[in-house]
Amino acid sequence: MKKHLEKKSMRGIVTLLSMVIVFAVVQLLWAAPKLDISKASVKGGDCSACHVQKKMLPDKHADTKTMNWEACKACHNKDNLSLTGKLPNSHHHMLADVNCVKCHGKTKTPEALTMEQCVACHGSTAKLAEKTKDVKPTNPHTSPHYGTDLDCNLCHHQHAKSENYCAQCHKFDFKTP
Amino acid sequence: MKKDVVTEKMLSRRNFLKTAGEAAAVAGLATTGIPLMTGQAQAACDALPKKWDETYDVVVIGSGFAGLAAAIEAKNAGAKDVAVIEKMPVHGGNSIINGGDFGAPGTKLQKENGVEDSPELMLKDMLRAGMYLNHPELAKTVAYGAKDALEWTESYLGCKYAKLNFHGGHSVKRAHGTINQSGSEVVNKELAKAKEIGVKIQMRTKVVKFLSNKEGRIVGMEVRKGYKFPDDKSGKTAFVKARKAIVLGSGGFSYDVALRQIHDPRLTDKLGSTNHPGATGEALLAACQSGAMDVQMDWIQLGPWTSPDEKGFGYTPLFCEPLVGYGLMVNPKTGKRFFKETGNRKERADAILLLGNPAVIMGDSYAVNKQVVPHALKGGMGIGAIKKFDTLDDLAKAYDMPVDVFKEQVARWNSFVEKRQDDDLGCMIFKDAKPTVVAPFYAAKLWPKVHHTMGGLVIDKNAQVMGFDFKPVKGLYAAGEVTGGVHGAVRLGSVAMADCIVFGRIAGKNAAGEKNWS
Repeated sequence: MKKHLEKKSMRGIVTLLSMVIVFAVVQLLWAAPKLDISKASVKGGDCSACHVQKKMLPDKHADTKTMNWEACKACHNKDNLSLTGKLPNSHHHMLADVNCVKCHGKTKTPEALTMEQCVACHGSTAKLAEKTKDVKPTNPHTSPHYGTDLDCNLCHHQHAKSENYCAQCHKFDFKTP
Repeated sequence: MKKDVVTEKMLSRRNFLKTAGEAAAVAGLATTGIPLMTGQAQAACDALPKKWDETYDVVVIGSGFAGLAAAIEAKNAGAKDVAVIEKMPVHGGNSIINGGDFGAPGTKLQKENGVEDSPELMLKDMLRAGMYLNHPELAKTVAYGAKDALEWTESYLGCKYAKLNFHGGHSVKRAHGTINQSGSEVVNKELAKAKEIGVKIQMRTKVVKFLSNKEGRIVGMEVRKGYKFPDDKSGKTAFVKARKAIVLGSGGFSYDVALRQIHDPRLTDKLGSTNHPGATGEALLAACQSGAMDVQMDWIQLGPWTSPDEKGFGYTPLFCEPLVGYGLMVNPKTGKRFFKETGNRKERADAILLLGNPAVIMGDSYAVNKQVVPHALKGGMGIGAIKKFDTLDDLAKAYDMPVDVFKEQVARWNSFVEKRQDDDLGCMIFKDAKPTVVAPFYAAKLWPKVHHTMGGLVIDKNAQVMGFDFKPVKGLYAAGEVTGGVHGAVRLGSVAMADCIVFGRIAGKNAAGEKNWS
């Protein structure tokens, strides 16, 4: 009886262990590189500093190690090789010298931010809405529902692909940077 | 004897919770193995947590019309700590995308417009449309409380209503249209007021389970904070204590394909919905699992005024609904009218579904300019759901209609408008309606979408949730679309706002009036 129980619990542990291993492997494959906030001083163009042992750019791409956002723009602009929606916004920030600490502060456990943080640098959303008033088919920065109060991060994600939040209900074909 | 019954009930509820918790733990383990490590499974087995993470007098679930009205009234009725939790990242739920029509009888705006109305008549309309399945006392509470609720939003919240609108199934014009033709006018002002008087608002917080104590009273709940809709694994478990009561204002389940199909198997994922994506039924089901009774869950309303050419609610309802009684609705296959335009939602949606193809609603420039708000017209035309035509011939051709039959129908309709009586289908024709003759003409296709779930939790006229034992589920109140019985088989347009504000306020006041359980 006892033996039987032991056998059963062993089998349980083995199953659990294998599940944990599978889970860990899946995590490794899919997750973004583990963010180490101590790497805050890393330059945005130094891909391998965070993406260890993984090639992020095409073979023929110029060396970006010392580049900043301005330098990227020499080749990538709105009409040619646009990076809109291709590069996570956090990278854009890093390339413009806005590193982890500048938004999240000095912490080992960075937390999600409120939009006050965005507005502090980027200016008020009312002003932004004025700037985008002629965007077709409608101004993305104001709505009859929320006015200009909608949180920036609902569309403009930093550590994931940005999305068009309006598209849940509307047929607005916005390209969200 | 009585004591035994109570003990038995108590035991069975606790056993149920325990079993549910274990089932959840096993399910969690099977898929990821994570719950073991976080200790969450452990907590789910306990009837009550050892330590509450947060404590309030009243906790409201949902930040729409009903929830915020409840929070405001609870606070004003003396509840010290009031919190609203909302699972979505934005406030307002369906209320903030609502069309902004508030049905109320005998108001100032009606008098200014020469409309005679009374709570009796509104109740009669609600009951007739509801096929007399409405719980009479609940329907009466709304019809007789609507005017006061409307005036509360005006005088206390500062909401503005600009126009008196008509909705199918009502005897008179009694829908008070907000100044921006959106429920946002009311829900944003509710939110501002709630914040102003010190109600705490927590976004991305989702109810997992209601918790009851030994006496079977609801005392708090398990939630997930930092929840990212629709990922059930997101966020962190926390326990929230409600000293007085919890108010459910969590809305309906039109977007919950699995739940709506249980009650109406026709409503598969092939049917769109006008609702926001968070209109799913978890909070309602959690209440049922804690003993709350549900009612009339299979009465699910389809909106007859939505367009297949745009997503969600869209602009077309704001084009179609003000046009009924001014313009005509035809079946493009025959070019003929087929149902009275001013019929109620169910009648019209069923009639269109029966056609098997989208219907077409149309109006001339006089009717459209007079009745349709410019932003809706512009928006609908921008998307391509509303189209403009210089002649009736062009309109007929665009929808593959037999041109002559259609033009004959328009002429026939015009003759009815002249004499203010529709001999064919009995459509109401309004005093200021004119024959459809002024070019350009506007038209849109109509195809129903899932719009409102009439069924939900059983409440009494005090918004107290009732249990499967026909006794109150102590400490649990509910208001708005999460409840059932107010509307019976059909909710009339503009009565949702009235329902939410009337019962939201009642729920809030009564929640604040509960004695602290600890």
